[in-house]
Amino acid sequence: MLQYLIILLDDTSTSFCHYECTKVNRKLISLENLREGIFFAMEENMMIQFVYPDYNLPQEYEDVIESIDHSKIKPASCCDNADVVILNSLDETSDFQFQEGIPYVLRIDKENLFSYRQEVRDIIEKVARLNVVITDIDSFTDDDFTTYKEFLSESVGQLIDLYTKGMTPQFNLLTDRMMLHEMNNCNAGHETLTLAPDGNFYVCPAFYYASPCDGKEISLADVCKKGFSVGSLEKGLDVKNKHLYKIDYAPICRICDAFQCKRCAWLNRKTTLEVNTPSRQQCVVAHIERNASRMLLEGFRKKGFYLPEQEIKEIDYLDPFEIKRKR
Amino acid sequence: MENLKIRPEGKVWQDGVSKSITFIVTKDCQLACKYCYLVGKNSKERMSFETAKSAVDYILSHESQFTEASVVWDFIGGEPFLEVDLIDRICDYIKIEMYRRNHHWFGSYRFSLTTNGINYDTPKVQDFIKKNKNHLSVGLTIDGTKVKHDLNRIYKKSGKGSYEDVVRNIPLWMSQFPFEGTKVTISSEDIPYIAESVLHIYSLGIHQVNINCVFEDVWKEGDDKLFERQLVSLADSIIDNDLYKDYSCSFFSEHIGKPQNPIDENQNWCGAGQMLAIDANGIFYPCTRFAQYSLREKKAWTIGNIHDGIDQNRLRPFLTLDRCTQSKPECISCEVSRGCAWCQGENYDAAETPTAYQRATAICKMHKARVRANNYYWNKLYRKLELEGLREEFEKNKPKSKDLIC
Repeated sequence: MLQYLIILLDDTSTSFCHYECTKVNRKLISLENLREGIFFAMEENMMIQFVYPDYNLPQEYEDVIESIDHSKIKPASCCDNADVVILNSLDETSDFQFQEGIPYVLRIDKENLFSYRQEVRDIIEKVARLNVVITDIDSFTDDDFTTYKEFLSESVGQLIDLYTKGMTPQFNLLTDRMMLHEMNNCNAGHETLTLAPDGNFYVCPAFYYASPCDGKEISLADVCKKGFSVGSLEKGLDVKNKHLYKIDYAPICRICDAFQCKRCAWLNRKTTLEVNTPSRQQCVVAHIERNASRMLLEGFRKKGFYLPEQEIKEIDYLDPFEIKRKR
Repeated sequence: MENLKIRPEGKVWQDGVSKSITFIVTKDCQLACKYCYLVGKNSKERMSFETAKSAVDYILSHESQFTEASVVWDFIGGEPFLEVDLIDRICDYIKIEMYRRNHHWFGSYRFSLTTNGINYDTPKVQDFIKKNKNHLSVGLTIDGTKVKHDLNRIYKKSGKGSYEDVVRNIPLWMSQFPFEGTKVTISSEDIPYIAESVLHIYSLGIHQVNINCVFEDVWKEGDDKLFERQLVSLADSIIDNDLYKDYSCSFFSEHIGKPQNPIDENQNWCGAGQMLAIDANGIFYPCTRFAQYSLREKKAWTIGNIHDGIDQNRLRPFLTLDRCTQSKPECISCEVSRGCAWCQGENYDAAETPTAYQRATAICKMHKARVRANNYYWNKLYRKLELEGLREEFEKNKPKSKDLIC
């Protein structure tokens, strides 16, 4: 059931996830489309998340936005009154004044994550919640898996120290799984949709920024002759094969217990050509996080103060595809 | 009393658990069959030996990716025997390399082709067959009577039917491959000729007819009723003339037309992804049906190439596909779903989004008609056997079911 509508206010609205914003020229959504998008969300009982560009919007836009309950996702470079702040690189964090109570998203590639582990971990101590989004998960190699495991292992020790001191920061890669008893994924296409400045709906912003035909012989776009739009304000929603975005129709994910995994439909399509099938990289990364969360839980247990009813079982695989194949 | 012998349905080599590797050696064919799904046939794209060699080298040097105990090296077209010299050279290379590398497939391999039969008796084809006879399966396609065959299987240039040029090679083919069956494809226009065509094929000495309706959405209003009547007529002929003892037709199978348990009977029908197809450009596909020349609406679905190898991520959707995930609720709860087939490539081509997970159901009413006729067949046969006191013996000797579709 649809619950959230993401509205990209501009073609250059900040990315808050794995995808890159590929458009360089500013193009605001029209005021008419903005109003219609809000009206659509009201009629569908959807909570709106507005995604902002790195400049201030005209006042008339802000007035329309304030006419409805919503949350604001803003880039760090222009983040007044933001509900979620996006840091698009570590460079943006050096002199940044973190605010209490606001969740921050750090978008970072693996090279920088592995090279600047301490700098990343330093942020955890400054914020109520840090979401790290690794922007090139699909390129992870076996060596990267090892390094990632090391990074998370080091972070486990840091979190145990912080909690022992009475601080309670949330770090998505470690603390989320510990709190979950069932899948808590992105659910784009099923619970969340995106309205783009062109007045069309998309499964998520990544599908808006993807070119439907980039001319390469073997590519994601080749498989889809048509664009990725799933309807428009004018003609209404038309999500074909909508069920494939639900976990019941994802053969690998429905047997998985890496509950914190984003289960990113865009990365799935990019890597396996199916929105319901994750790549090996996504599965292994999610399981390294899951197993690190298990270590964290054990660490907390030794301190005797956390989640007695939670259990993360020990498992002997990192990719549930292997389990599915054995069945 | 003489033992009641029942001809087993087509036995699949190694029970079908071997790896199937298909070389699309040419996209050319002498024929332009009206029902052919290969929309992109042409005379330009033929595989070079170097491409084939690179594919063989990749496959044999990645033994850990190909762990099946056996292999079927399959050659497809167009018409594969148009490239018999190339195929011969590739087969020689495969044999030498499997031996040289001490590959586990060396003791368990076959070569396989299906031909339109037109140049079957040429010296080059015959030399190839003799050379590889102990490791070779050759299927030959004849669609039935001259009328039925020539309705669809016509020459590309002249538009003339090909029946006479094929039927003259049947005795030679049967003498060399006496246990092979023929594959018959049914489209809307073929329906009135089904019964007489199957009986005609039997009369040519071919004991096994593997027959199926096309998966594409070609069916017209009333086709299912006509189809059912044809199958009932065929059932009468087979049973009344005791042909069931020595001949088989894949339309009649005792195990089809039952409901299926969504847990225990949830496996995928199609082997796409379990097999590997390679085209003239050295591109890998999960099955030939995902190559561009097979697709009407969608772009080719590639899974790698001879230079970069197989992209294992692109295989994952195929290797985790199951029946229920790709089926509509009415298919999952269908009372007669067992034996209702699908083609993963056609599913993809007909799907509303670029996915292999949307099952095409154009065949639905034809399957239900088949089930009704199949029920009639078995009820009539068992009653006849009962009256003749042969039922118990039949039950003991009856063959296992094997639906041969792809």
